[in-house]
Amino acid sequence: MNGHDRTDRLAELEDGFQALAGQSQDSPEWQAVSILHAMVQELWRSGEAGVADPAERGWPASAIRPTLSDIANLYKRAPSMSGSRQHEPLRVGSIAPDFTLPDANGREVSLRDFRGAPVVVAFYPLDWSPTCSDQLSLYQAELDEFQRVGASVVGISVDSVYSHGAWAAVRGIAFPLLSDFEPKGAVARRYNAYRPGDGFSERALYVIDADGVIRYAHVAPQLDHIPDIYELFASLAELTGKPQPEPSSLHPVDEGVAATAGG
Amino acid sequence: MTVSAIPIPHRAGPAAAPVVVYGTRWCAASQMVRRHLDRLGMPYRYVDLELDPGAARRVAWLSGGYVSHPTVSVGGAVLVEPSIAELDRALMRAGRVTGWW
Repeated sequence: MNGHDRTDRLAELEDGFQALAGQSQDSPEWQAVSILHAMVQELWRSGEAGVADPAERGWPASAIRPTLSDIANLYKRAPSMSGSRQHEPLRVGSIAPDFTLPDANGREVSLRDFRGAPVVVAFYPLDWSPTCSDQLSLYQAELDEFQRVGASVVGISVDSVYSHGAWAAVRGIAFPLLSDFEPKGAVARRYNAYRPGDGFSERALYVIDADGVIRYAHVAPQLDHIPDIYELFASLAELTGKPQPEPSSLHPVDEGVAATAGG
Repeated sequence: MTVSAIPIPHRAGPAAAPVVVYGTRWCAASQMVRRHLDRLGMPYRYVDLELDPGAARRVAWLSGGYVSHPTVSVGGAVLVEPSIAELDRALMRAGRVTGWW
């Protein structure tokens, strides 16, 4: 079968289906049609991926030897982490509190080690948890971009160095993860970011300049919210004078923003 | 993670339907998809599910009533929370990628 022709035909059919959107969709018949469409998409997707991963079919865990990918994706099925922020960030323009914490290799890392260049300090709740996995993977994917503007990145959580080591290995995180383990959350407290009822820190993001001054400070309004990466880039651009990366959106202003602005 | 193969974007003509990313500003997966497309120089429309009034309804229609972020429409495929690898495969199938570095 000619895969290219089949893809064209599927694309045409999909266009036809999408053109029907906007009509009254509340009847059971329309709901059934919508569900069928979603099922077709899922089947198409799993067919493309080859043999579906048995773990995704809900087979008994004892029948499966977990792969590295299974472990890396454990966070997707982990208990969800939710909660509103409890603290405000430290003020922009203030001196960032110093710290000395071990990384996964047991090496002591201090904030003052980064003097002379900007550093992005990302406090996050816990290794292996939903959302946190994605945030640090996002920064890992952007390491070239951080390097381009001369900025370092470190992550900090209350996890042990052993947890950091395992999680960084599984997720492919190459920048340091520091262990705010004992006293628990002591550095997070210095940054007004420790959540005593939870036993972990806020999702707090700081950009600290070459002189140790806080130039960007953000605490996520919800634990499962990631700070906007474009906002982070804008802050680094302002700080370093180097231009931020070009988004590839077709419109200079996001569709959603344009819609609300009436633009 | 180490990227071992980087897709070469193909400048599709005006008739090609744009890649559309439905997402939210605070979702890591939405940001990862957008940034991946940025780095590829792959033109796309970003539609914010929280700011665009009809967007959530449209995604619900395409996804059997579910609204996940990101949902990515590319070349006839509607990808719900795709991995980067799945996204690249869909781009290649849609002729938006000509090869690999």
